Amino acid sequence: MAEPTKESGVLVQLFRTFFGKHWPVWVGGIVLGTLNILLFAIKSPWGASGGINNWGENVFSSVGLINIESVAPVNENLYGMLCLLIVVGSFIGALFSKEFAFRIPPRGELIKGFIGGGIMAIGATVGIGCTIGAFFSGVPALSGGALVFTIGLFIGVIIALRYLLWEMDKFPKWSSGKSYNLLAAKPNKGGWQIVLGWIFLIGVIILAYSYVGSNLTMTWFIIIGGLMGMISQRSRFCIVKAFRDPFMSGESHGAVGVMAGLLVGLVGFTAIKLFGIGAEDASIRAREMTWVFPHFWAKAGIGGLIFGIGMTIAGGCAVGTLWRVGEGQVKLWMSAIGFLLISPISKIFIVPSVDNMLPHSMKYKNFLPDYIGYDGAVALVIAIIIIWYWFVKWNEKTGKFSAF
Amino acid sequence: MEITQTLDCKGLSCPMPMMKLAKAMKGLKSGDILEMLGTDPGTKSDIPKWCEKTGNTLLEATELSGGVTRMIIQKN
Repeated sequence: MAEPTKESGVLVQLFRTFFGKHWPVWVGGIVLGTLNILLFAIKSPWGASGGINNWGENVFSSVGLINIESVAPVNENLYGMLCLLIVVGSFIGALFSKEFAFRIPPRGELIKGFIGGGIMAIGATVGIGCTIGAFFSGVPALSGGALVFTIGLFIGVIIALRYLLWEMDKFPKWSSGKSYNLLAAKPNKGGWQIVLGWIFLIGVIILAYSYVGSNLTMTWFIIIGGLMGMISQRSRFCIVKAFRDPFMSGESHGAVGVMAGLLVGLVGFTAIKLFGIGAEDASIRAREMTWVFPHFWAKAGIGGLIFGIGMTIAGGCAVGTLWRVGEGQVKLWMSAIGFLLISPISKIFIVPSVDNMLPHSMKYKNFLPDYIGYDGAVALVIAIIIIWYWFVKWNEKTGKFSAF
Repeated sequence: MEITQTLDCKGLSCPMPMMKLAKAMKGLKSGDILEMLGTDPGTKSDIPKWCEKTGNTLLEATELSGGVTRMIIQKN
C-alpha cells in the first residue's frame, strides 16, 4: 500500500499549476496577445528581429569588423533588452519546471540551425520584421503589408517543409549521430533547477528595478520580456508550428494558439490606434501608423517567403528561437548566432540592392483603414482568421494537405 | 511487450522527432510497437496529441535519467 502523502500547501499547488505541465497553446496566445497590447500602450508593439539585430550590431562594433554608426548598447536598447529577457524568462520557466538541459544535437542539425537563422535574418531585414513584428503585431496593427508577409510565410514554410522531408529521406544521417544532453534534472530530483530559477527571477526583478529612476519604459520592457519568455516556454508558443504543422502532421493546436493571440491583439491595437492612446506629443496619425511598415506588397512578400524558409529549417522563428535558447536547445543557439551575425550584414549589403530594384509602388506603407475604414479592416482580419481556423480544423480531420 | 523498433531522437529539436516518428510508423505493421527516446520537452505534449489524432496508442511515457523521455507507441 502506498504511503499516505502529505497534502501540498496552496502556494506549492499554485506553483505546480504553472510549472507542473505545459499550458495549452491558446492560453499562451491570449496572454502574449495581452502583453503585446501592454507593450503598445507603453511604447510600441512586440518585435523580435530588431532586438536580435541590435545584438549583432553590438558584436560587430565591439570587434570593429563593420563600422556601424550609433549602435545602442544592448542595455540601452528597449528591443535588445526585450529579446534578452525573453531568453532569461524562458530559462527561468524551464528551470521552474525542471525542463532545462543543454541539448546538443548531431552536427548536421547544428549547421541547419545556423543556416536557418541566417536565412531568417535576411528575410527579416528585407521584409522589415519577423513573425512577431510583421505578423503577430503587424496583422493586429491593420497593416496591409503584414497580410502579404503572412502569405509569403506560408509559401516559405511549404517549400522548406518539402526540403526537410526530402532531406530526411535522402540524407537521414544529417539529423542523426552523436548527441549530448547535459545537466538535465533526474526524475523526481533536480531541486537545484528550481533554486536557480528563483535566483534568476530575483535577478530580473532587481534589474527591472534598477531602471526605475532613469528609464521606466525599460523597467516595463524587462518585466514584460521576462513574462513573455516564461509564457512562451510553458505554452510552447511557436509560430513555425502554427504555419508548419497543418502541412506536416495536420495538427491545429499551434495555429489556434496563434489565432487567439492575434484576435486579442486586434481588439487592443484597434482601440489604441482609434483613440490615439499613448500618442502624447506625436500626432494621432503617427500613432495609428505604428508597425505599418513600408513593405507593401513585394518587399513584404519576398521577406515573408525568405523568413518562412529560414524558420522552418531552423525549427523556430525569431521568438521561438529565443525561448528555445533559454531552455538549452543548442540547435537554436546556432540559429540565434546565425541570425545575429547575418542580420547587420544583410542590412548593409543585401537590403539596399533589394530596395533599389523595387519601385515605390512595391514597398509602401499600406494602412488598411485608409482604404476600407477601421470597421472594414477589422472585419477583414477576423474573416481571414475564421477562414484559417476553418481550414486547419478541416485539414486536421481530413489530412488533405498533411504530409503524414 | 516486444519492442519492434527503437527510434533515437535524443538531442533533436522540433520538428525532427515528430518527422522521424511519422516516417518510422509508416514502416511498421499494425500491432507493432515502437520505442522512442527523446529529449525535446515539446514531444511530451506533441506525441500524445498526435497519437490521439492518428489512432495509434501511446502505451507508456516515462522519464528516464539524463532528461530522456521514453514513449512506447503501438501502431493501430
